[in-house]
Amino acid sequence: MIAYRLARLAVVLLVVTFLSYVLLNLLPGDPTTQMLGLSATEEARAELRRQLGLDQPLLVRYGAWLGGLLSGDFGTSPITRVPVAEELVERLPVTLELLVAAEVLALGLAVPAGVAAARRAGRALDQALTALGFALLSTPVFVVGVLLILLFAVTWRVLPATGWTPLSVDVGWNLTSVLLPAVTLGCAQMAVYARLLRTDLIATLQEDYITLARARGLSPRRILWRHALRPSAISLVTAVGLNLGALIGGTVIVETLFGLPGVGRLIVDSIFSRDYLTVQGCVVLISVGYVLVNFAVDLVYAAVDPRIRRA
Amino acid sequence: MLRRLGPAFWIGSAWIAVVLAAGLLADVLPMPRYDETLAGPPQAGPSAAHPLGTDGLGRDVLSRVVHGSRVSLGVGVGAVLLGLLVGAPLGVLAGYRRRAADAVIMAGTDIALAFPALVFALAVVAFAGASLRNVLIVLGVLGAPAWTRLIRGATLSVAQREFVLAARALGARDRRILWREIVPNVTMPAASYAFIGMAVAVVAEGGLAFLGLSVQAPTPTWGGLINEGRAIMENAPHLVLAPSVVMFLTVLSFNLVGDRLRALTAVRESGLEPVRRAAPASLPTAPHAAGDVLLQVADLRTHFVAPHGTVKAVDGVSLTLERGRTLAVVGESGSGKSMLIRSILGLLPAGQVLRGGKVYLEGEDLTAYPPERMRRVLGTRLAAVFQDPMTALNPVRRIGTQLAEPLRVHRGMSRRQARAEAARLLASVGIPDPARTLRRYPHELSGGMRQRVTIAMALSCGPDVLFADEPTTALDVTIQDQVLRLVHRLRGERDMAVLLVSHDLSVVAEWADEVVVMYAGRVVERGPTAEVLERTRMPYTEALLQAVPKLTDPPHRRLRVITGRPPDLAALPSGCAFHPRCPHADPRCATETPPLIPASDPPPAAGPPAAGPPAAGPPADGTPPAHQPPPAADGPPSAVTPSSPAEPRPLAAAVPPSSTAPEHLYACWHPRGAGTAITEGAESHGR
Repeated sequence: MIAYRLARLAVVLLVVTFLSYVLLNLLPGDPTTQMLGLSATEEARAELRRQLGLDQPLLVRYGAWLGGLLSGDFGTSPITRVPVAEELVERLPVTLELLVAAEVLALGLAVPAGVAAARRAGRALDQALTALGFALLSTPVFVVGVLLILLFAVTWRVLPATGWTPLSVDVGWNLTSVLLPAVTLGCAQMAVYARLLRTDLIATLQEDYITLARARGLSPRRILWRHALRPSAISLVTAVGLNLGALIGGTVIVETLFGLPGVGRLIVDSIFSRDYLTVQGCVVLISVGYVLVNFAVDLVYAAVDPRIRRA
Repeated sequence: MLRRLGPAFWIGSAWIAVVLAAGLLADVLPMPRYDETLAGPPQAGPSAAHPLGTDGLGRDVLSRVVHGSRVSLGVGVGAVLLGLLVGAPLGVLAGYRRRAADAVIMAGTDIALAFPALVFALAVVAFAGASLRNVLIVLGVLGAPAWTRLIRGATLSVAQREFVLAARALGARDRRILWREIVPNVTMPAASYAFIGMAVAVVAEGGLAFLGLSVQAPTPTWGGLINEGRAIMENAPHLVLAPSVVMFLTVLSFNLVGDRLRALTAVRESGLEPVRRAAPASLPTAPHAAGDVLLQVADLRTHFVAPHGTVKAVDGVSLTLERGRTLAVVGESGSGKSMLIRSILGLLPAGQVLRGGKVYLEGEDLTAYPPERMRRVLGTRLAAVFQDPMTALNPVRRIGTQLAEPLRVHRGMSRRQARAEAARLLASVGIPDPARTLRRYPHELSGGMRQRVTIAMALSCGPDVLFADEPTTALDVTIQDQVLRLVHRLRGERDMAVLLVSHDLSVVAEWADEVVVMYAGRVVERGPTAEVLERTRMPYTEALLQAVPKLTDPPHRRLRVITGRPPDLAALPSGCAFHPRCPHADPRCATETPPLIPASDPPPAAGPPAAGPPAAGPPADGTPPAHQPPPAADGPPSAVTPSSPAEPRPLAAAVPPSSTAPEHLYACWHPRGAGTAITEGAESHGR
């Protein structure tokens, strides 16, 4: 089973790297224009292409690049002259911290909200939470971010609008600089999670074993948190894994908006400077991350539901 | 159907229509052009001339927002149509053909999901040129895998339905099935997802535009406007707020319309359904005397307010139960047996429930207890076992945790004490190797073992009354007998009372002291088991008895069934609820509800209603309080149960011939066999 999964994982990654390499290289636009300027002669361009190996057939270049990937060599950006792997290692912690903070905030608020709504399904609190969730879900991430900056950074001046303090420099300032971006990124996730949990909890609360727990005189609070929550968490766990793709798209916007030096920002900058190699490196990193997280999600299932352990 | 959509749908549709119309008519509407600089003073707030103010170059913000809607809505609608065009045929193919096509297509979408879509959109638009056409194509194609998944799911559910399977079996051509059966049924879910997809596409285009990678200036886009306004939002926040609010409302409207459309076909509710007010009203209770018995249920009523009427699940049930005795409640499915137990225990689902009647435990009115006090009674004095042991245990908690919980909560035991007691309880219900079983999960046990666990759990705090709702129906026959024997033995050991719900008359004949027959939420006959089974009065009970197949039946004999079907509890027939199915019914049965009549009285004379039995009370009222059975003897349980409780008792000994035994009552104008025993029916039920 594990071997099958790993094989599948390898195939997915192979296809993803191939498609991303081919697609990006087939697109019009040429790094030599960016490097030498529009006035460069055709000879100078051809010379640079040869130096960069761009005159080789596509498949050969892909093979060489893939071989490098396996040994951890993502190539060196022809634009910035910095090895792509180095750049990624430097920026990854920022993006990871942002992602983790956003997920923690989203889950930390979504679970109590989902439980509260399910417990009073159809009542005023449930209706209010559902409406709020719908509103959050319908607010684009950049709108949330801009509005939060307008409120907290411009009007009240309690949090910085942009900038980043690494965790290693100062923990307090780090948390201050990650707070607004994380809330921005987590808002829509929270709405999704709360809604999923609410729906599944309502279904679980109609199960016989919940009625029997009530028949044993257990308190509603105990039944909700100790009996009903875990069997209702499967969809939530799935969503956490699947939403990662959307969340990474979100980091591109959030990091640009808040000026965070993460992978998302790197993607935007490299795209504007036609830095294919760096974009490809980012795409590989994100795809591997996505596939690995969903691999981990499958393992979490077993922890949530013992019936899955047998399979 | 239109009413079910609710106001949210119409408000959302109206807003979309307004934005769409404004975008289409942007050039002819009376407002400055979007690129006309100094149409008003720069950075001015909202005014009569410029309802949304002006930007840094003095351009009219309203005009720019309206023109921006062309790009947003154009991309939103266009990308969805393109995604559908590419994704839907693949989805239908995968869902209908299954096998290889399905595997290939689904593997493709799996890979597509691992692609960071927005990154690709950015790269493609940046390298290929930021034009409306490119943005639309990229977002459309990137949305296609999601469409394939959704349409495949919808197709799959339709393709498994009977009418499609039937058409395939009849050899209809695939093309015909696809167009006639599949496509129409997939259209509705696809339409609802289309609106949600438009919301996603509008947001995605906004994100590209915000990063400067959508349609380029001077053409305004919503995302671009927000990005522009960001630079000077300190001085002119309206520049950011105006496009933000418009964008929010538009995305919200698409989501609302999509959600409401989905609600038409989906079973699951999203939470936006109109509020149903919980009814605090309760039903009246007929006057009655609280007797000196262990459990007394008096005129209990549970009605549910449903869209199609009031469902009278339990409608005026009275019964009493003494220690050491077993009372069986029998009836067809849907006769209110299970709901009776839930009503007694106060375990009704939340929502519109109307309740009436009283439940007394040793004279204390449980229906007047506040929830917290009731919880102390539940589990310690009243306990329940349900029909299906597969669903009665929490699948994600270990047996030991579940079994120890009531011990710790109600009896304040420590973890170790509770664990030891749990092992002892498991041993007492005949589970081998209790210590190991405690560490197991429910799915690791067989059905019979699980039911023993639920019984152990019910008995853990030493209840006075055990409510067993069809405890053996889901088990196979050999296990059934073991479980019932176990319940019977424990009843004797612990001196409790058992209320046994069953539709199996052979079980009832063997294990119950008294029987209550229910039909349509009411008691139609009750009394000592032998009396009711041998001298059946109510034609419904007679029909139930005759529907039991017998070993003495000749081979190839047709099974006797009760004709017709159980009545709709929301629209009960007038008079006796059984009369449409009763072979002995006459016009009186259709107009008058028979009360419970003591079997010892002469049968009611046919004729005018006034000639009814004098003790029967008003004939229209099916629950005359005058006929509460007198409290049974308070004697030791050994007087009731035979000396060896595990042994099945002969039928004749089921009820001691005593003057204090419960009375045989029935609700019928034309009782069967008054005085003549229907021995054939009863004999076959003793084992």
